[in-house]
Amino acid sequence: MNPKRMLALTRGGIMESLHYRMSIFVTLFANLIYLVLVYYLWKAIYDSSGTDMVNGMTFTDTMIYLILATALFNFLEMFVVWDMSRSIQSGNITLDLLKPMSFRKYRFWSYTGNHVVQFVLSFIPTFVVVMIVTHGAIRMGVNLVWFMLSTLLALLINYNIEMLIAPICFYTESTWGVNIMKETIVLLLSGATIPLAFFPEKIRMVVQYLPFRAVYDIPLSMLLGKNGADSLRGLLHLFGLQVAWLIVLTIAGNLVWNKAVKKIIVNGG
Amino acid sequence: MSSEALVMKNVCKDFKVLNRHEGLKGSIKDLFSRDYKIVSAVKDVSLTVNQGEIIGYLGPNGAGKSTTIKMMTGVLEPTSGEILVNGKVPYKNRTENCENIGVVFGQRSQLWWSLPLIESFKLLRDLYMVPQKDYEEMLELYRSLVDIEPILHKPVRQMSLGQRTLSDILAAFLHNPPVVFLDEPTIGLDVSMKSKIRELILGLNKEKNTTVILTTHDMGDVDALCRRIVIIDKGAKIYDNDIDHLKNYFGSYRTLKLRLEDDTWEETLIDEKTTDVMDVIMEKQKTMKIKDIKILEITTEEVIRKIYEGSER
Repeated sequence: MNPKRMLALTRGGIMESLHYRMSIFVTLFANLIYLVLVYYLWKAIYDSSGTDMVNGMTFTDTMIYLILATALFNFLEMFVVWDMSRSIQSGNITLDLLKPMSFRKYRFWSYTGNHVVQFVLSFIPTFVVVMIVTHGAIRMGVNLVWFMLSTLLALLINYNIEMLIAPICFYTESTWGVNIMKETIVLLLSGATIPLAFFPEKIRMVVQYLPFRAVYDIPLSMLLGKNGADSLRGLLHLFGLQVAWLIVLTIAGNLVWNKAVKKIIVNGG
Repeated sequence: MSSEALVMKNVCKDFKVLNRHEGLKGSIKDLFSRDYKIVSAVKDVSLTVNQGEIIGYLGPNGAGKSTTIKMMTGVLEPTSGEILVNGKVPYKNRTENCENIGVVFGQRSQLWWSLPLIESFKLLRDLYMVPQKDYEEMLELYRSLVDIEPILHKPVRQMSLGQRTLSDILAAFLHNPPVVFLDEPTIGLDVSMKSKIRELILGLNKEKNTTVILTTHDMGDVDALCRRIVIIDKGAKIYDNDIDHLKNYFGSYRTLKLRLEDDTWEETLIDEKTTDVMDVIMEKQKTMKIKDIKILEITTEEVIRKIYEGSER
């Protein structure tokens, strides 16, 4: 893999994303509405519980977690499944297969530009606002480094989950249901909509070891120093989980994708 | 390196298709059906194309042209037979093969939709690892062949269909591939754009000695570009020779045009070897009044139609 190709694709992606700058502002505005809703929902939950602390998290903790999860979601969100189903239906997939590099890598580097734009224009502003509003509830130290590292891993894991689901389009030809299911499962089990601390004990035990958690919960834990991310052992455990899932999903994704490509090559998609 | 840019030997391609049943009941039945039939899209096609040739790959809709192109580019694997493009098996080394071919599908665009054309060029330059010097030389060549300045900084999505097709062809030639596949490049274009694009293809072929495999339904393209044509129908090759030979072969054919009383032109294709033109006119005159007569040489289009019809019999 040549860095020149990766950079060129990322650069193109950044330019394309900036071209649709209005959509970034619309996303930010939609987030605001969503967060107002989340604020009142959780306020009601905390008010009715009668205590300041629910499941080891204060109201402020929960809000910081959910706001950052939303920002992270905008940044990590990918449309691999949508794009692939569209390009299969239109036949444009042929053009992507005719690029002088592997399809999986080509697609991945086509998305990175958008991630860069979203990170700078959506995540960082949100983060700064949260920091100012909470008067330094987020620790500023080495945890930022762990968070960045963990987010990169999350990005790769998320891409591999998408690439594992996307070839289903080759078989079903309709992907709307598949995609909605995937999105719901990821958002719920990753802790992006409800912090994992609020899950019933037994379910939490299982969810803790699933790959979805590695996408949102682990990077946020690193940032906020929760779930053992404040100790070296805890850090190693969380990183270990991410790396392990990344390896498993990459191998699985490769196998599934190669089989799907074979199907196109043999039977014309 | 051999001068053979592309070799196909006894290439066949079969598709497995589900036998669909009619109606709602049939649709439900299809869900569980194992009733497949084999459709042969390409049957035993052999073909050798030399470096620098422009060949017209013709055939009616559904003849298997696109399937052949897809096999040549490596996105489809032949069921049997052998294909070599630049001496390599395309579907086995797909990404490697892609570095040495250029492809234009008339109905699709490989360009970055929202970016100006020059950015797509830069992206392709880096994707195909084209050295800066070669890239600049290529742009210089483009400038000498067509007026690219007005479109170079225009976003692709704002382009007219003609400009976009032109851009796509330029993009396909950018990394100077030995072989370029053009799948109906002039579809939907106006006459002046068509001739512009033909000139461009001819110019690039001459300058870079690029092999061009062209599929089209436009006989103007064939006349302007191809010295050799290959015709396939129902998956089988039915003609492979140079275009003059084709005209000789059907040289005794004439198109007789008669203007009748109601000012409509009636066309008849006549083989002078078997029927006399005068006889036909006399025969017609018995039943109706003829106001005007034209006798024309057969056009390539009619020649092709003749061959299609011949293969159907």
